Amino acid sequence: MNFKHLIDLALKEGATEAEIFYSKGRVVNVETQKGSVGFGEESVSDGIGIRVISGGAFGYSSVNDPGKYEDAVRTAVKCAKARGRDPSLQGLPGPKPYRSVSGIYDRRIDGMKLDECIDTMAAMVSEATKDRDVSVTFGKFSSQVSETTIINSNGIDAHEKDTAAYGYIDVILKKGDQVSTAYDYDVSRALDVNFAAIGSNAAELAKSSLNAVSIESKTCDVLLGPQAFSDVMEGTLLFAINSENVQKGRSSLADSIGKKVAVDGLAMVDDGLIPGGLGTSAFDDEGVPTQATTIIDDGVLETFIYDSYTAGKAGRESTGNAVRGTYQLSPKVGPHNVRFEYPRSDVIGETKKGIYVNSIIGAHTANPITGDFSVECRNSFIVEDGRKTKPIKSLMMGGNAFQFLNNITGMGRDDRKMGAFVVPTVRVKDVHVTRGSQ
Amino acid sequence: MEFYDVREIDGYTTAIAYDNGEVDEISEHFVTGGAVRALAGGSFGFTSVDDVKQMSSAVKDAIAIAKKLDRLNPRPKIELAPIQKIKKDVYRVKKRPSDVSLEEKQRLVKDIEAALRGEGITSTKVSYSESYSHNLFRSSEGDESEYDTYRTGFSCIAVAKDGANMQMGRRSYFNVGGYEVFDQCDPIKLAKEAKEEALSLLGAGSPPGGHFNVILDQELAGVFIHEAVGHASEADTVLEGDSCLEGQLGKLIGSELVTVRDDPTRLQYGYYPYDSEGVPSQSTTIIENGVLRDYLNSRETALKFNGHPGNARAGGLMRPVVRMSNTFIDNGDMTRDEVFEGVDGIYLKGSRGGQVNTGEGIFQFNAIMGFIVKNGEIKEPIRDVSISDSTLKTLKNIVRVGNDLKFSAGRCGKAGQGVPVGDGSPHVLVKDAVVGGSA
Repeated sequence: MNFKHLIDLALKEGATEAEIFYSKGRVVNVETQKGSVGFGEESVSDGIGIRVISGGAFGYSSVNDPGKYEDAVRTAVKCAKARGRDPSLQGLPGPKPYRSVSGIYDRRIDGMKLDECIDTMAAMVSEATKDRDVSVTFGKFSSQVSETTIINSNGIDAHEKDTAAYGYIDVILKKGDQVSTAYDYDVSRALDVNFAAIGSNAAELAKSSLNAVSIESKTCDVLLGPQAFSDVMEGTLLFAINSENVQKGRSSLADSIGKKVAVDGLAMVDDGLIPGGLGTSAFDDEGVPTQATTIIDDGVLETFIYDSYTAGKAGRESTGNAVRGTYQLSPKVGPHNVRFEYPRSDVIGETKKGIYVNSIIGAHTANPITGDFSVECRNSFIVEDGRKTKPIKSLMMGGNAFQFLNNITGMGRDDRKMGAFVVPTVRVKDVHVTRGSQ
Repeated sequence: MEFYDVREIDGYTTAIAYDNGEVDEISEHFVTGGAVRALAGGSFGFTSVDDVKQMSSAVKDAIAIAKKLDRLNPRPKIELAPIQKIKKDVYRVKKRPSDVSLEEKQRLVKDIEAALRGEGITSTKVSYSESYSHNLFRSSEGDESEYDTYRTGFSCIAVAKDGANMQMGRRSYFNVGGYEVFDQCDPIKLAKEAKEEALSLLGAGSPPGGHFNVILDQELAGVFIHEAVGHASEADTVLEGDSCLEGQLGKLIGSELVTVRDDPTRLQYGYYPYDSEGVPSQSTTIIENGVLRDYLNSRETALKFNGHPGNARAGGLMRPVVRMSNTFIDNGDMTRDEVFEGVDGIYLKGSRGGQVNTGEGIFQFNAIMGFIVKNGEIKEPIRDVSISDSTLKTLKNIVRVGNDLKFSAGRCGKAGQGVPVGDGSPHVLVKDAVVGGSA
């Protein structure tokens, strides 16, 4: 589609710069009802977000009805004019060469039909329910393809097409008066995942969580599985390394550049170029080239992540970290794929005494500013002499996410893609756990 | 012949955000589209499109998906409870937000921002939003409804700093309706409360971990009842075998002091006149004096549990799912002072959200602020306090219920969809609750 005329219209209406972000998506999705596929969906959506600069300030509008594209352009200009000059605004980015990225588009997902989605879901359910006491309370498989186009009045003209397949399963196991639950999921840009294994993983986890014991409150080594570790860090660490929160006085790491914020030997990199990464793209959501940014190096905070607005305000270059969940939102600062470098080992095998936590509930209630959190652990186990022995009934874990970074004593080799993170099982020392209710 | 129903939405959202006293965002978004759900045998087919001119092909596609599923994976036939033919009185907006100038809205936001500022405050944020949607419903059975809704409100955050210690205070007010929602609250007073909260959290200590008697304020008790009881009473979850309330209808599951209702007809944030299956809304008594009376139902689940439909809601153009509306613990007999009398324990205020595992009946929620209580008197402040416990145990351990019911607005997530809800409660006392500490 050609949006040049909308840029021209914005400039005619009084904008000095203008940008169109167009995205189009198609999703084929199946879900289970009472253990078998009972819901199928095929949906399409497309729309534009228009961002303009007029009178030295941004204005934004979005629309999904092509008949209202021009109204949205005028609305964006009106919004900008209502604001008054923003002295920090350095303008929209200009064109720069993009590096090529791989593994973000798979023709097999693009062409996926309802029947194939049903078959994949059915395989997940069948693996999960091999044991008759396990039943599936929710299962979902979806395939999606999306196209993105970004053009602006400075000459950016970027286009990309990508795919994703997502499988999720939630199971419950009832045996006598004992109940346990577990879930697992996987998501990939290509059809290279054994989705059926999600079903067996969830069932195994539920089975191994039965006959759980209580443990007393204590301070000990905790092994956080990839889900639990990414859940703890998402709302706290990712909030703090975001330049927008730094500039607005809400990041507790604001004054920590050049200072030690994590254990020696630990590096944290936001890498937007990882082949097949969930956040991989040649350019960010305002058309700036994506890169690999080392945020923490040998335990020392090196940089925050920036989009072109916050970079302009800080007098530096964007790190290519403008993201938007949908065309309805103006771009904000966000990560692509955050991975860790730290000596890898068999972290569970080498742990004499500790607790393994697979997942947590209530992660979103963590305090983003202070990093303090207190959550319920699910599918957790006592670890003795390098093995997960008994499952734990109910357990709360409290602490501070930033303190956790300083208390890391090991990382496993089991890296998993978890939203914005690629993370393994991580061992943290001196974690406080509270005995649960049961 | 196959059943299908169609929803069409046409509306807009306006957002204004001020960050540290400067405009951070002024934006306006237009949203239109339609969604079709079709049923063939035991299978649902679903499509959504942005362009409502494509609705007739969307209907055909949804029917084709349902039939295909029914052929490939035949399941027991699904019956739907009939829709009562009632014409609802729909709340009429008093002050259309589009009649209020952008300048006036900006003035309000600036006034709120000014009230957040003060000594010790290093960062502020105010967000205003208004949304309007025109909702159309029709079905192959000839049912039709149509209504407009507005939702308007604001939220504000103050961040206080003292050395390396940084804390956040927050207040908000949202409701169904237009600009009149600002006559229902005092935005300046709320902003001052957010400022005070941030400053007093600076001096708050870390909570002790362990088992305590806990008094919950209205907002937090509302989140408790929403998370712990509301989700487990959603009949689709019960049918999936994923609820700790399965098989408990008619049984005493909690303290006789506890009555819980879900009422979409109340003018709170979860209000709706018709649900997303076109069913006129009505109140449901979930728990009456400790006895489980009813689940929340869709047309599909209502027939299975002999309940009434009316709680199927969809986030935007997504599929309808059994959801709550305005869920609350009803008033008891005690005044607030009587709830506190003689208590040794912890008083928890304000919610940073919660989550539940309905199958095992375990919930978690986090309070913004807490206080140690000694002999009914509020003492030292504490912060970042979470409670995690068993739903059924906690319902039995509610030993005092106040008479000061109050609602808070929130957004509830389920099946990847967010919908506006109201949560409410009076002050309640829970004995022997598990408090997660970091100290």
